[in-house]
Amino acid sequence: MALNPSYEAIGKGFVQQYYALFDDPTQRPNLINMYNTESSFMTFEGLQIQGAIKIMEKLTSLSFQKINRIITAIDSQPMFDGGVLINVLGRLQADEDPPHAFSQIFVLKPLGPSFFCQHDIFRLGIHDTV
Amino acid sequence: MEYDYLIKFLALGDSGVGKTSFLYQYTDGTFNSRFISTVGIDFREKRVVYQTVNGRSQRIHLQLWDTAGQERFRSLTTAFYRDSMGFLLMFDLTNEQSFLEVRNWLDQLRTHAYCEDPDIILCGNKSDLEDRRVIGERKARELAEKYGLVYLETSAATGQNVARAIEILLDRVMRRMEMTVDKSVLPHQRILKCHGSQQEQIPIKGNCYC
Repeated sequence: MALNPSYEAIGKGFVQQYYALFDDPTQRPNLINMYNTESSFMTFEGLQIQGAIKIMEKLTSLSFQKINRIITAIDSQPMFDGGVLINVLGRLQADEDPPHAFSQIFVLKPLGPSFFCQHDIFRLGIHDTV
Repeated sequence: MEYDYLIKFLALGDSGVGKTSFLYQYTDGTFNSRFISTVGIDFREKRVVYQTVNGRSQRIHLQLWDTAGQERFRSLTTAFYRDSMGFLLMFDLTNEQSFLEVRNWLDQLRTHAYCEDPDIILCGNKSDLEDRRVIGERKARELAEKYGLVYLETSAATGQNVARAIEILLDRVMRRMEMTVDKSVLPHQRILKCHGSQQEQIPIKGNCYC
């Protein structure tokens, strides 16, 4: 498969759509459509999860209601299988908590005319020492 | 200002149990947020005087660390467990799930703290919301006894037992420190007598937050 020349637009579009669903608690369950039943991986704060159902169990167990999010940068690259690698750097605020930096990596895998999220790695940007 | 001991406590528990309000109540609202952006932890400070059993006064500089919301992501910077000398483990008397999570917090704590049986005060918070209470005092006491914790019912809103919880914790940590022959058992012992104490100075090495 060839490199997808629209990787930038695909990366930005996906990120926008993903967080629009994630940040709205009534929409969050719809994220399940982004993942594959078997072949999607998530690493959430070091916890490794495989498959759409388990990923959704994790995402819906998070205890905040609303999220305020600022996206600082979205960096994308085309992959040789036609997929797109995306790195997001930003800040988020859960309910009334202090804001924290985060980074999130996605790999989109082509599936027919569309994509699914094959890899998803999330970390808050906090450190062990000052 | 000089002090004899720098003591660090960490407040733990599910989000929404009232950790921040509790520390806010104790420290009269003063806080220091300069570490939130890097380590995701907020801390508040207070100076107190501790009377030892033989009647001496020790000037204590208390640092009260608050997890600032990172606990929602189950991502607690483990260095802060390790550096804490005592723990306030908090749940919400009106929220059963937060009580059930106490065991998980204890597991975390025992894994990452400086020793396997650190001093812990279990606080059943929001005792002012009596009509919404779902965790009875006896049930909470049973859990505390099972795990060898001190149990107090607290209210960050009214201040009930807030200062007392911290005083009891401080007393236990100070007693432990005095009893400990090998003082290296406590974390960051080397910086306990920081900043120009006239008493025997322990050499300062590595990072010092004060």
